[in-house]
Amino acid sequence: MTHIAHSPTVAPTFSRRMLTSFRQTSRRLPITAKIGAAILLFWIITLLTIQFWAIADPLAMVGRRLQPPSTDHWLGTDALGRDVFSRTLHGSIWSIPIAIVVVASAVAIGSLLGALAGYFGGWWDSIIMRLVDVTVSFPPILLAMSVAAMLGPGLANASIAMVIVWWPIYARLMRAQVLEVKEREHVEAAIAGGASSLRVLRVHVMPLCWTPTLINATMDFGQVVLLAASLSFIGLGATPPSPEWGSMISEGATRFYDWWIAFGPGMAILSVVLATSFVGDGLRDLFDRRST
Amino acid sequence: MIQFKLRQGVATLLLAGTAFAGVPAMAQDSDTLVIARSMDVNSLDPARAFCDTCQFYLTAVYETLITLDPDNETLVPNLAESWETNDDFTEFTFILKEATFQDGSPVEASDVVWSINRLKNLKASPSFLMDGMINAEAVDAKTVKFTLDAPSSQFLNKMSASYAGVINADAAMEAGATAGEDAPETDKAEQWFLSNSLGSGPYALAAYTPEAELRLSRNDAYWGDAPAFSEIVVTQIQDAVSQAQALETGQVDIAMQIDPDTARSIRSDDVTTEVVPSYNFVYIGFIPGAKGMAEVMTPEVRQALALAIDYDGILDFTVGGSGAKQAAPIPNGFPGSAGLTPRVQDVEKAKEMLAAAGATDLKLVAGYPNDNIYGVDFNIMMQKLQQDFAAVDVDLELKPLTWAVWRDELGAGEWPITALYYAPDYYGTAQYVQYFGMIEGFPWAGRAGLETPELVVNPVQADLYAKALASSPEEAEAIYQQLGEEMMKDTIILPLVSPNLVLAYRSDIQGVRYSACCNLPLAEISRK
Repeated sequence: MTHIAHSPTVAPTFSRRMLTSFRQTSRRLPITAKIGAAILLFWIITLLTIQFWAIADPLAMVGRRLQPPSTDHWLGTDALGRDVFSRTLHGSIWSIPIAIVVVASAVAIGSLLGALAGYFGGWWDSIIMRLVDVTVSFPPILLAMSVAAMLGPGLANASIAMVIVWWPIYARLMRAQVLEVKEREHVEAAIAGGASSLRVLRVHVMPLCWTPTLINATMDFGQVVLLAASLSFIGLGATPPSPEWGSMISEGATRFYDWWIAFGPGMAILSVVLATSFVGDGLRDLFDRRST
Repeated sequence: MIQFKLRQGVATLLLAGTAFAGVPAMAQDSDTLVIARSMDVNSLDPARAFCDTCQFYLTAVYETLITLDPDNETLVPNLAESWETNDDFTEFTFILKEATFQDGSPVEASDVVWSINRLKNLKASPSFLMDGMINAEAVDAKTVKFTLDAPSSQFLNKMSASYAGVINADAAMEAGATAGEDAPETDKAEQWFLSNSLGSGPYALAAYTPEAELRLSRNDAYWGDAPAFSEIVVTQIQDAVSQAQALETGQVDIAMQIDPDTARSIRSDDVTTEVVPSYNFVYIGFIPGAKGMAEVMTPEVRQALALAIDYDGILDFTVGGSGAKQAAPIPNGFPGSAGLTPRVQDVEKAKEMLAAAGATDLKLVAGYPNDNIYGVDFNIMMQKLQQDFAAVDVDLELKPLTWAVWRDELGAGEWPITALYYAPDYYGTAQYVQYFGMIEGFPWAGRAGLETPELVVNPVQADLYAKALASSPEEAEAIYQQLGEEMMKDTIILPLVSPNLVLAYRSDIQGVRYSACCNLPLAEISRK
């Protein structure tokens, strides 16, 4: 990104705007986005520091099984006598990093391929976009389930399955942006100046294309948490005994009367999905005026 | 699993559809008995079916020569009024009662011969019951004689299995059924049996919609005492909690798969729940023949692992204590089980044995079907096992799998530990030796040994088994106990829980009981 600062032809970029007007920006963010950001911050702090917290071991039997919430166990105990509250908080160690990795990988792969397709056109465009068309023609949950079932259970495999489901969205987003930006005068000037295609793409085009991707990635973060939980729920994601939210809900689903087993992880997923939606909406209001 | 879940979805839609179509769902005070169950039907053809649902369906529709008394031990007449056995248990002669099929034609010896030959020759799931039967002969219209190639004092018990029901041969042949040795290729009747029945039982098949509903109607031409209900509907309800709710609201009269934990949460006075011991059990199996495990899963290590398990804890965590421990893969109450002592946990000894065997930092993988059987959630059970193993410094990685993947990986020897369940097909111990015995060519010897059966085969067992089959039931009991002790010594199959069965029904229903051969005898049920 340092190139950008020295490049006189480049218009103010997203990252620069973000830095220079952070205070102004945050003031203009709606209250919902601030709440969302606070929730996400809570989860990130939790997952980074949870091992130092003085709460029950999420894998150990700490009490009698199937006890309703009490002062000892705030969210009760599950069928193995483990503390549901502790397991819910520890669940963030699984769910949130997975969402980060999946979204980051999908953005990286999708944006790269989308940019190539948009900038070079021709057979690059045909091949990549047909691949995108084929992938998005499957219902996402079905595709993720098939891939995860084929690879076997485990969070690593579930993550691969989710990246396969998600990258086409970013390929399309990036291609549309690149198609628009590459017609601009500063790009033509750079090409006339003799810059190589890759340099033009990297320095003069792509930096201007990130806004929609970032907004989308924020929103998708919650959706990935949800899909990862869904895969775990049907037994294709996390393997026992990891306190992944989806598998915890799965354990609670067959014990309807012991509602507290599924309550904690359910609220955790709800909070993350809601928070990312709030933050995503806020970012869109700020940067993507067309859609407001 | 995917297919399974999708089918579940379809079933839900169908159920929702029937609600709008106005099919009567409320059964109270009516002439219809409604039963809630998650059906596992693989076929409705007696010679092909092999499932818990099949057991009670076949019992209601087809009749066996002999059946099991409510005491679950004594064999009593059914279609046969009497029978004789020769001294070395190789020839069995049955005299038939005057009975008729649902179309009014008489049940004759030729029908019995044809049905049993078909069961044997189709080489389908229940065909193993007739292994060793070399000749079936109609001596006269009412007398049938079976000849075996080796003594088997358990043949009579096998004849009480619901799969040995008698079919109306003439009508079945018209529908494309065959009974000869070429039956696997020439028999075309499986589909036909899904919408028709040809038995002599108190009920007849009215309609079957997979994953949705099984309807039986009273056989008005029944030769015996007419059953109480004119219609029985088995309706697909997937899980225990939904079944309990349907029972509490009166939507159904009987819920067949309620686990003890759920039973405790039922508060309605209109519902009766009875908890009875069952002959079902859930077990873990060690597979020394798995890849790279021959040197790891030695008898000493297996015994040490068996000592590490907290059997009381597992009973508590899986079924809330509502069940029993079981020593060998012979269910409590079956011949030979009485003298066996269940294993107990001994963590110190387990550690010593592991250290003596040089098995430090042991890392094992358990692959098992991700399912809930007889109220036991395999994930919960295996997590408890994981904790028990961790206490003796053995690291157990858990791989819950879909049934299809599990079957593939089991055959490929991907992991050395698995978990599974078993329910009896008839009252008798032979089926357990036939399935769990470490005898060359038997199912579990093959599973545990894979490419190297010599790792697990226990030569003593084959001799004991032959001896047991050649002895009278009374003498056989002691031999089966010896077999049980040998199987415990093998430490391949470790029964963990024999879960209790919950009989849950509306309080105006009577006659609900658990049968070792037939699951739930429908014809005995009535409304007060």
